[in-house]
Parts: sequence; structure tokens; C-alpha cells
Amino acid sequence: MKTFYNKKTTIITLAGAVFTSLIIFNSCISEKAAAKSGVELWSENCQRCHNTPSPSTFSPEQWETIGMHMQTRALLTDNEKNKIVEFLKQ
Amino acid sequence: MRQKNQKKRKVPLQLLYGLLFIMSSGAIAQQTPVTVDSALLDRVNVLEGQVASQKLGEEHFMVVGLTTFGFVSNKTTTTFSGSGQVSKTNKIIDGDSYEFSPMLLWRHGNKFLLEFEPSFAGDGLGVNWADITYFAAPGLMLRAGYIVLPFGSYDKRLGAGWINKLATDPDGVAGFSDYGIEAQGGFHAGDMKLSYDVAVSGSPSLQQDGTLSSVGLSPSNNHKTLTARIGWLPLSNSSLEFGISGMTGKVGDPGSGFENAKTNMYAFDLNCVQNIKPFQVNLKGQYSVVDVSNVDYINPVDSSIYNFNNHTTASYLMLAIRPMFSDNKVIKNFELAARFAHYETPANSLTGAKDNSFSVGLNYWLSWRTVVRWSYEAIRANSTVSSALGGNPGEINQSNSMFLQFSIQL
Repeated sequence: MKTFYNKKTTIITLAGAVFTSLIIFNSCISEKAAAKSGVELWSENCQRCHNTPSPSTFSPEQWETIGMHMQTRALLTDNEKNKIVEFLKQ
Repeated sequence: MRQKNQKKRKVPLQLLYGLLFIMSSGAIAQQTPVTVDSALLDRVNVLEGQVASQKLGEEHFMVVGLTTFGFVSNKTTTTFSGSGQVSKTNKIIDGDSYEFSPMLLWRHGNKFLLEFEPSFAGDGLGVNWADITYFAAPGLMLRAGYIVLPFGSYDKRLGAGWINKLATDPDGVAGFSDYGIEAQGGFHAGDMKLSYDVAVSGSPSLQQDGTLSSVGLSPSNNHKTLTARIGWLPLSNSSLEFGISGMTGKVGDPGSGFENAKTNMYAFDLNCVQNIKPFQVNLKGQYSVVDVSNVDYINPVDSSIYNFNNHTTASYLMLAIRPMFSDNKVIKNFELAARFAHYETPANSLTGAKDNSFSVGLNYWLSWRTVVRWSYEAIRANSTVSSALGGNPGEINQSNSMFLQFSIQL
């Protein structure tokens, strides 16, 4: 019982630390990074793995879906994903 | 009479006033939508968008995917104790030159995404991934299902035929897929960016020859594996990424004789993309080490017990150059790529070898996601299989292959 309690406490503490760290790190974006436009982020991030996609490839609705898929692959931040998708939807 | 006439006049005047009022109201009504109705319409559009993003529908389901096919010509020369043997093959359908993998994506609102990618390749029908992702919070995505484990960066990001710059994957860098849960995300730290990816999953299976096998869709043991990768992008334009990853867990199947065998793996990966106009330069690499605890194996020749240091290393470095920013519409679509890879499997095991491979390729991009490529690959494999296991230590296999390949993402 004591071991279980300790494990539970450790897990909760770790989870809390992770969430706190995420909040802190997410608030640590520099002005330079925050000011980047969708087209800048599109050209910088997509080419990390493949050629930059043409906005005409998919419909706006489909870009939303593709954006979510790519966020899981490239581990984009929410800000990056939203700006890139908005650019591609235009 | 006059009053009567005045009365009579009043009627048309009232009608006139009435008409003027109606017309003016109409005019107002016609003018006001410019201010009032546009705001209302904007609001309605926003609400419609919110409703549309939440409801189920065909719009949120889409099929993408990729296919790769081509031709491969191979010549292999086996040399041992001064004598050589040559074999030649020409194939259209081959594990390295054919793949058909439709990917089904289904977005439910803005919080859930289902992904399913079956794959038919030269080695049969399989599943690359089948999972659901919950976008829990900024910088936190939770995933469950049959997932690609975050060991190295090649499998998750670079292995697809239309992304790969060469016709083959470097030997030994393929990772593992399994059932599991995963937490991942990316966040800024000033100008830099960091990413994390942690998964708890089923375990690969230690085979009778000492290799680890991804168990596919049928788990063969109940062990759990912890896999994690941290990515660091030190430059504000995300052009450089360093990754470090590791995996640990038990790998022995019940009844196999090595139930308590464990593995510890680690990998370093590098990704650098620089636009040095008129060129785009791509440098990618990975170095990985796989250690499995020492256990006893059964010699297939005489059923005796033997063991070996189960230590495997794999690495590659790939450089690609494309004159992407050239004004010439043809030249800008060419890309030259070269890769060196080293793969060393445990000496004195049934699979022991030291492989060195060199690949070079010329791609022509028909669109951002469609490529035709020519590729040449030379692999020199020096066997380290013990003679007690029926091997020929020192045997050299020299394989030379030429690929013509077409790959498209749809």
C-alpha cells in the first residue's frame, strides 16, 4: 500500500511537473519567433522533411486535417500549425 | 366642399407620406445591411465554421497516401577462399521498388485525429500505423493504437518513397511499430524549439538467431517497452535539428528460453536543411546502437549452446543538393543525392556481418510530391558468422544495384 502510494505520488508529481514545464516553455516564445508569418513557417518547417506543398493541393477543410496530421509528425507547436494551415487555406 | 376637397387631398398626401416612409425604410433597410448584416453574417460564418468543425461528415474524412514502383537490376558477387560466384537479377516488383500505401485520415472536430495506413509492399500486406490522436493542450498530443515508436527520426519522417532521396532505406535504421500509448509535442524556448515524444508500448521479440523483430499485429509477449526521443532545434528558422532517443524493455517471448532478456537502445539523429541560393542542401544522418543482454542460443547445426555479444550498430549520412532557386524551370527540379551507410551485426551470430554501402541518386521532381529517380547502390558485406554455426567468416558479398523508380504522394 505504501509502495502504491509512493508510485501514485511520483506519477502525479511528474505529471504536474510536465504540465507546469509545458506552460512555462510555451510562454517562452521569443518575439522574433512569435512574429513569424504563416508563409515563413510553411517554408521553414515543411522542407525539414519534404518539399514545400502547394496551397492548391488540398481544399481548406482538407488542410485542417493535413495540418493536424503533420503536427503529429513534425511536432509543430500549435502556433506554427495554425499559421501554416491558415496560409495554405488562402 | 372645400373641406371635403381638402379631405380628399389629404388621402393622397397620406398615401404619399406612407409611400415615402416605406421607400425610405426600404432604403434604410437596403443600406443598413452593409453595416449590421455584414457583422451578423461574419458571426454566422464563424458559428457555421464552428459547427462544421464539430459535426461528423465526409468533409473531415480524406484519403491520401503514396505509391512507389520501379525497376531494379542487381548483380551480386560472393567471394570466399579465392573462389567467386556471380548472380544477376532484374525485377520490376521488389521490396525496395514497390509500395502501395493509402492513408486514411479522419478528423473529428479539432481535437481528435484518426490515422490508418495499410501498406502493400514487395514483402506483403501490413499496417504502418493505426492510431487515434487527442490534441489535449498546446504542446501536448496523446496518441493510442498501433504506432511507430519514436526511436530515431528515419521511420517517422523520412522513410516514405516520395520523401526519401534514394531508392532504398539505409540498412539497420528501421525502427519498430507496436501497440502503445504516446505523448508528444513541441514548444518554443526563446528562439529555439524543443520537441519530445514518449511511448509506452508492447515489446519487440527476440528471435532464435538473436535479432529483434517488430512483432507486427500479433503481439508475442506481454512485455512493455519505454521509448523516448527529444529533439532540439537550436536555430530560429528550424533548419537544424538534433535528436536523441532511447528504448528499453524486456524482449523475450514466453517459452523461448530467454524470457528475461532485455534490450537497451539509443540513437542520435541529425537533420539540416539550408537554402544556399540557388541551392537547397539537405544533410541527414542517424547513428543507432542496439544491445541485447547475453543469453544462450541453440546452434542450428548441432543443437549445442552458444552465445555472443549481441551488439548492433547502424548509421548513415545522406547529402542532397538541389538547385531549387534556379531560374531554369527544368534544372531547378533536379536533385543529386549521395549516402554512406554502415551496418554491423553481432560477430559470431547467425547474422554477423559488417556492411558498408554507398548510394548515389538523381531525382527529377515532377511536382512537390512526385518524383522520378535513378539510383545506384553498392553494398559490400563482410561475413562474421562463426564457422561453428555453418558460416563462412570472411566471405564477401558485393552487391551492385541500379534502380529506376517513380514515387508519388496522393
